Amino acid sequence: MTIWWLASILGATGAAALAFIWVAVRLGGSSRRPGAKSQTDDYAKAADSEVEHIFSSEFREELRNRGRLHFEKIIGENAMFLQQDLRLTTSQLNEYMKTEITRKLKEEFDKYEQSIMDAKQLAIDSIQKTNQAIDEQRAMMSQEMQKEIDAEKTHLTARFEQNMAEIINHYVIAAIGNQVDLSDQLEYILDELEANKQDILEDIEHGA
Amino acid sequence: MAHDELAGLRIPALIMTPTDVSRLQREISALHEYLGQQKLRPSGQPTAILPKASTLLDELAVTNKLNLLEAGTREHLIAFLNDLSANAPVLHISFATDPPPAFLQKVVLWLRQNIHTSILVQVGMQPTIAVGCVVRTTNKYFDLSLRRSLANHGVDLIKALKMTADK
Repeated sequence: MTIWWLASILGATGAAALAFIWVAVRLGGSSRRPGAKSQTDDYAKAADSEVEHIFSSEFREELRNRGRLHFEKIIGENAMFLQQDLRLTTSQLNEYMKTEITRKLKEEFDKYEQSIMDAKQLAIDSIQKTNQAIDEQRAMMSQEMQKEIDAEKTHLTARFEQNMAEIINHYVIAAIGNQVDLSDQLEYILDELEANKQDILEDIEHGA
Repeated sequence: MAHDELAGLRIPALIMTPTDVSRLQREISALHEYLGQQKLRPSGQPTAILPKASTLLDELAVTNKLNLLEAGTREHLIAFLNDLSANAPVLHISFATDPPPAFLQKVVLWLRQNIHTSILVQVGMQPTIAVGCVVRTTNKYFDLSLRRSLANHGVDLIKALKMTADK
């Protein structure tokens, strides 16, 4: 069906071209002769008439319809191409967006990670400094404590040695109390009196 | 001293403290007064009871072979006791506990043999002494206690403690 339509259109177009050539040849021949002005006008009119005859309203309508269909077809094809292109573009755009977003996110994550690492390092440094300060403080306090302990120990030892006789005497009193018989001490007491005999004698003889 | 003039009288070991001497003074005075009153008493009148002589007076009389029925002897004894009370040297001795009489007699005996024949002792108590005694004369103070002994031998004691601690 389409081939027939196309053949008829080509035939009509060829006929129109031949008619046009023929009109042009006739017009060319009449222009070389004087007084052919009116004849040319006649030809023009005839051509117009023929054009009107060939390109009738049905024919033009038919051409418009075909043109519309062709246009629609082209529009459809283009729309398809456009759609494909659009899909491709969308796909590429998605890919690009994905890549960009991934890259951007990676950069941000890297920066974030770097920030975290910096903060971590800062915190570690701070903790290390604090630990160092605490260690130094502890060592200093330990030395001070040791010094205090040594001083107190020395002081206590000196006091113990100084008051040792009192301490042992107190212990003896607490331990034995009044259980020691004075008779058992007689020898010790007489020895002590003997040791101080001269002083006692002198004080008794020369005392007031 | 004046009482040395009465050296013919010996003080028995039972008479140890100024309190004993005072008691003897009162006793001999009472006896002397009683016997004097008996001498003046008319015959036929009731007599008062003879004061009983204490162990101290008996011991003093026996030791010195005194006849207390003789007024001169009594006066002599009273004078001796007065002199003893006034002039006898007194030694203050403190012990951790109350000393038994036998112990104190031994100490007094030693003092009378080595320090003075008429010496008297005033006994006191200091529980903090623990062992030994503290002697105080008129002007001096003699710490004869274990405390002083420990203090005097502090270095040796520290050495002994350190040796024990090292073991």
